[in-house]
Amino acid sequence: MSASLLALQTSSEIARLLINGLQAGAIYILLAVGLSIILGTLKFVNFAHGALYIVGAYLGLIIAGMPTFSGKLAEWGFASPGLGWGYLAALVIVPLVVFVVGLAMERFVAQPFYDRPDTDQILLTYGIALVVAETFRVLFGGQSRGIAQPPWASGSATGVPVVGDVLAFLGVNAISTWRLVVILLTAVLVGIVFLLIEYTDFGLTVRAGTVDPEMVEMLGIRLSRPYLVVFGIGAALAGVAGLVGGPLVQFYPGYGGEILVPAFLTVVVGGVGSIRGAVVGGLAFGLIQSGLIQFGFSEWSQVGIYAFAAIVLLVRPQGLLGEEVAV
Amino acid sequence: MSDETGQRVGEESGQLSAVPLLVRWRAVRQRESFVVAATAIAVLLFPYLFVRAPVISTALQGYQSLAELIVIWGIFVIGFDLLHGYTGLLSFGHAAFWGGGAYAAGVFAIHVSGSPLVMIAVGITFSVLLAWVLGFLTLRRGGIYFAILTLAFGQMLYYMALQPLADLTGGDNGLGIGGTAIEPLLGFIPLGAGIPVITTFVATWMYTLIGVAMVLTVAFAYRVLNSPYGMVFRAIRENEQRAEFVGLNVQRYKLMAFVLSGGISGLAGSLFAIQQARVPVESLFWTTSGEVVIMSVIGGVGSLFGGPIGAAVYLYVANVVQGMREVVLFVQVDKLFPGAQAVVLPEWASPADYWHLLLGLLFVAVVVFIPRGGLWGGLKSIGHRIGNRLGGGR
Repeated sequence: MSASLLALQTSSEIARLLINGLQAGAIYILLAVGLSIILGTLKFVNFAHGALYIVGAYLGLIIAGMPTFSGKLAEWGFASPGLGWGYLAALVIVPLVVFVVGLAMERFVAQPFYDRPDTDQILLTYGIALVVAETFRVLFGGQSRGIAQPPWASGSATGVPVVGDVLAFLGVNAISTWRLVVILLTAVLVGIVFLLIEYTDFGLTVRAGTVDPEMVEMLGIRLSRPYLVVFGIGAALAGVAGLVGGPLVQFYPGYGGEILVPAFLTVVVGGVGSIRGAVVGGLAFGLIQSGLIQFGFSEWSQVGIYAFAAIVLLVRPQGLLGEEVAV
Repeated sequence: MSDETGQRVGEESGQLSAVPLLVRWRAVRQRESFVVAATAIAVLLFPYLFVRAPVISTALQGYQSLAELIVIWGIFVIGFDLLHGYTGLLSFGHAAFWGGGAYAAGVFAIHVSGSPLVMIAVGITFSVLLAWVLGFLTLRRGGIYFAILTLAFGQMLYYMALQPLADLTGGDNGLGIGGTAIEPLLGFIPLGAGIPVITTFVATWMYTLIGVAMVLTVAFAYRVLNSPYGMVFRAIRENEQRAEFVGLNVQRYKLMAFVLSGGISGLAGSLFAIQQARVPVESLFWTTSGEVVIMSVIGGVGSLFGGPIGAAVYLYVANVVQGMREVVLFVQVDKLFPGAQAVVLPEWASPADYWHLLLGLLFVAVVVFIPRGGLWGGLKSIGHRIGNRLGGGR
């Protein structure tokens, strides 16, 4: 009897760990997949990727709700620019808008710098990130914000038809529906991108361009357009990350830089250019973080992922699923 | 800095008197003793011009503690530039050495001894050891990965100080050292006291300590960079592969550059801890690493003197321009209006909200248009033009 009770308790603990870990990892994965495909195919280092997260988050805030801001917008008479169209509308509009932002970024920021040294790319995108963050701070004010969870996904997941039964069977109760939504959404989006890159002609072009761009161009295939699209997709994923992360973690204009660090580390740990690697790295980070919190080491939760990254780098400098060894 | 090689005597007639002087000037300014002396004079004059000189300081609205802060950050930027400007490794985690040195000095002052010189020694030692470990980890991957990894491990230290080590570091509140915990210099000279003879210039022993550190840093960096050892750093920057093929142990030189850079940053950090008598936890945060990058790029990458200029511009904008409500202009219509005239800024032009954005835009502009020159490069090219006009010809 007690053994089965213990088993039940263990299984519920594990389920809770998995769900929290998956959700924490989901945000990293959304950011890391974009970073990774941009870094892998375009060889472009985007320190402004976190800025796209912020764009997505604030855009979602404005589209979904009726927030009031305190920055210059308020001074100019637009204290409450919210549209109040609801979260689903944001979920459709935000990726599209950030996709376009990504296209613009590729054309006007990245492209002129493809031939410049890596360090110049880093400096430039860091500067862009800074300017974007400061512009947001001037316009919207510097305070922390969160996006309200949509009513259909707030509260505990026990009420949801099938999922609730499964959770009840496992003995898990305090899981919010929103976490499950984030996990599902991430899985679907990353799955789509994976299929796109691995199984379509477009993906074939992109992957071929990764290996030998000169040869591909010589075969008469223009790479500039696939590159543009890849950048846009990566940007859109970052925007979605901001949107779905908004209800879970408070954000402020400078938050993009803070979230960028673990996202970059996810890419390095997983292996650059590999979507699978980004997923594995993100999951590992998410599980380590939520595991440390769940088992009473919450003050180590941030340090844990860096320690893990250090170990991975010592053992496998090219990343868990990375192939190349060259710098 | 050492781009003056051919010093051919100008053949132009009529300007002969100017030429030997110019040539001698170009020869002299390459000498180490001249560089050190020039630094010493600049460090000596800077707080006077900035804080106490009759007209200039009124217009600049400078103050002593800001002058101290600028020189401290100047040391930090020199340390950073040793790695980025001269070895070509862009680190985004230098807050680790600045903050690490500051925390080490501060913790040592609280628990063991508050002698400033010992605090500095402890800060430098800690940063050097830290740089050794982090360098070993981060230099395993080159190029962009180095930037990402230094950024990541810098953040790791920040989170370490924030929570697990909060008992030691004071966590979110930062480490309060307190002015009383810091002992007088050499046991009998209070840092706040005025220094005899040159007190008009530097005012306090605090500034003198910082200024001496700056002069020593410049002398040290200049000596290293102009030695064969420093030549290898530049060789790595120019072409790492070729340096490797020549038979140099590139990895070891990179690690040494990283350690030297970390040590100088630690010196700056421990001075910061002494000057502020506290260590904010933000000194380990990645934005601090970003600030030193911005200062270095604005001032000029790969130039010893560009760094402190960048630091001065950044801190001036962040501390003085930020709070400016009026701009002091100099109009002297006739004897009736001598001296400074203040123009009060209208509400919309108040820079309080925009200063950070302006620095960001300046930074982006420098990266796009003059990535290797910065402000110092601009000054130097003006100097060249004047030199050429005088007939020095290059």
